Amino acid sequence: MRILVIEDDAEAAAFISKGLRDAGHVVDHAVDGETGLKMAEAGDYDAYVVDRMLPKLDGLSLLSRRRNAGDATPALFLSALGEVDDRVAGLKAGGDDYLVKPYAFSELLARVEALGRRRAPSNVTTRYAVGDLEIDVITRTVRRAGKKIDLQPREFRLLEYLMRHAGQVVTRTMLLENVWEYHFDPQTNVIDVHISRLRSKIDKEFERPLLKTIRGAGYTIEDAA
Amino acid sequence: MLRLLRTASFRFTLIYVLVFAGSVALLGAFIYQQTFGSAEQEVDRVIDGEFQVLAEVFAKEGPAALRRATQDRAAWRDGGIYMLIGAPSGVPLAGNLTALPPEALTADAGFFNFTFERPRADALGKEAGVEIRQGRAKIRRFRASPDAENFFLVFIARDVSDRERLRERTSRLILQLAFATIALGLVIGLAFSHSLMRQVDAVNKTARAISTGDLSKRIALTGAGDELENLAMNLNGMLDQIERLMNGMKEVSDNIAHDLRSPLTRIRNRLTEALNADPAAKDEAVRATLAEAESMIGTFNALLSIARIESGEGAGAMELVDIVAIAQEMAELYEPAAQEAGFALVLKTEAAPPVRGSRALISQALANLLDNALKYAVGGTTIEISVRKSQKGYVRLAVADDGPGVPPGDREHIFQRFVRLESSRSTQGSGLGLSLVAAIARAHGAALKVDAGGLGGSQPGLSIALVFPPRARA
Repeated sequence: MRILVIEDDAEAAAFISKGLRDAGHVVDHAVDGETGLKMAEAGDYDAYVVDRMLPKLDGLSLLSRRRNAGDATPALFLSALGEVDDRVAGLKAGGDDYLVKPYAFSELLARVEALGRRRAPSNVTTRYAVGDLEIDVITRTVRRAGKKIDLQPREFRLLEYLMRHAGQVVTRTMLLENVWEYHFDPQTNVIDVHISRLRSKIDKEFERPLLKTIRGAGYTIEDAA
Repeated sequence: MLRLLRTASFRFTLIYVLVFAGSVALLGAFIYQQTFGSAEQEVDRVIDGEFQVLAEVFAKEGPAALRRATQDRAAWRDGGIYMLIGAPSGVPLAGNLTALPPEALTADAGFFNFTFERPRADALGKEAGVEIRQGRAKIRRFRASPDAENFFLVFIARDVSDRERLRERTSRLILQLAFATIALGLVIGLAFSHSLMRQVDAVNKTARAISTGDLSKRIALTGAGDELENLAMNLNGMLDQIERLMNGMKEVSDNIAHDLRSPLTRIRNRLTEALNADPAAKDEAVRATLAEAESMIGTFNALLSIARIESGEGAGAMELVDIVAIAQEMAELYEPAAQEAGFALVLKTEAAPPVRGSRALISQALANLLDNALKYAVGGTTIEISVRKSQKGYVRLAVADDGPGVPPGDREHIFQRFVRLESSRSTQGSGLGLSLVAAIARAHGAALKVDAGGLGGSQPGLSIALVFPPRARA
């Protein structure tokens, strides 16, 4: 992915850029809002990572302008302001996701990659498959190796979210936000237990586990040898 | 004094006084007109009547009869004054006045006022000098025929001294009344403004003291129960809230200093040691430092959330939320975790009216209560989420467990920041979870109730409930 990082804190920007490059992405960096806007206008990016508070032009205005100009490139806001109202303001301005500082890099990476996938045309498909695991979003059926698996509605949504982001790391917070629609950090292992229940249904009786835990980051579903 | 004159209340009093004095003057003028206006006309009518009678006598019976009639009338002493003078000779022919008053010589055909002297009688009826009296008169010429050379000057007057004196006294009284009204109004207005200014000054003084930093100052209440006291009470209430928030902020910064200093110190020590350590120890130091940083971030976020919720910010929009739905969702979210930890998670709800609040915050509070129960209900078997409705419309959202519970004496402390009861020191946690619950309860005007769990079993258990007020009162 080609990613434009607009962040005035040089150290944070270097940290983000290096991390994204290490993950195989191409990264450009702008140090203020105006430069960022110009680069966004000129370049063809797959995702923006925008700090909310920027010199010269703040992140919200920057993104509003891009959206008004018809630019639908997915954008992730980074902000020190983390309350519900701030999040809503960020999403209203055209942001696709919102990450509150301080964040773990693994969280940022997972969310940026999820944004890139959102743009892909596979978005409109109603059937997903990873290895021999298939789900149909319309009929809400799950099959593995042709065998039907019964899931609770929430388990289905959990699996659906993971399948939509197959091959990407999905963090616990992303799951809580997207599957349960809650915006807080769970103190205990609530998500982990849901995952292990899901795993016991889709992976347990099969040779190759598909749902994997990525230590210190989250989960991913993929068919890797 | 000058300040007093500039006060709003004095300005109002002044306007009031002027309006009131104006109405007193108007009333006075009305009374005056009613009393004396008609009396004057009455006198004039009597005099005209007398002229008419005398004119008839003169016309029918001639000069001698006129003279006699004048004499008779002058003798009646009913306050009538008559004078008949032959003209042009100027000889007084009849009457009870020694000479015409000088005013008569310049008078035209109309009525005029004049003064005359009259012997004064003392209490015993004896003469005691003279007194000056006032009269109202008219003078006319009587001629035998229109072209006759000789004529009579007829002077008829009434003594109006008594009436004039009454008139003077009355007008003086009315004026005095008007002045007294103004004076009294001004005095009362000044006193009123002064007292008002004193009370407002008290408020101002308190406000100044507060703006120079003494937040504990409060406006003294007068006990009068009036609107000024009401204002003072409201201001005091506002100050209480501000002081509470300020103290909260101070507490937060104290807490941050307290709770973040030790991990920061540990981080520094660990990194210092790691500088000269072998690679394996370095890795270990980095990992430990990372974990420490993560937990500090958690603490920091929790503190900020509490502070923001308490300041009324960050709650998002308050809307009507269905507590039962939240309880169901959270039960579903936590059920696997509870089961894994060896608890049965039970949900007991009854239909409850919606509550004014924030779904995000209420679910956060419930999550914290559930986290708390999972962490501390050691040896318990059941965690119960319940939603109940009271008859008065209160909605009670509670999480109960059958763990070791909290001794009654400690129960009020559990919501304080960083309080971790002795028995739980070994467990992980920031000590902020329940403080956040308390802050969320306050933001919703909900009462917090801590009790024994009431779920049976060998341990007392713990129940923490948020009691939301009925919607109309929230």
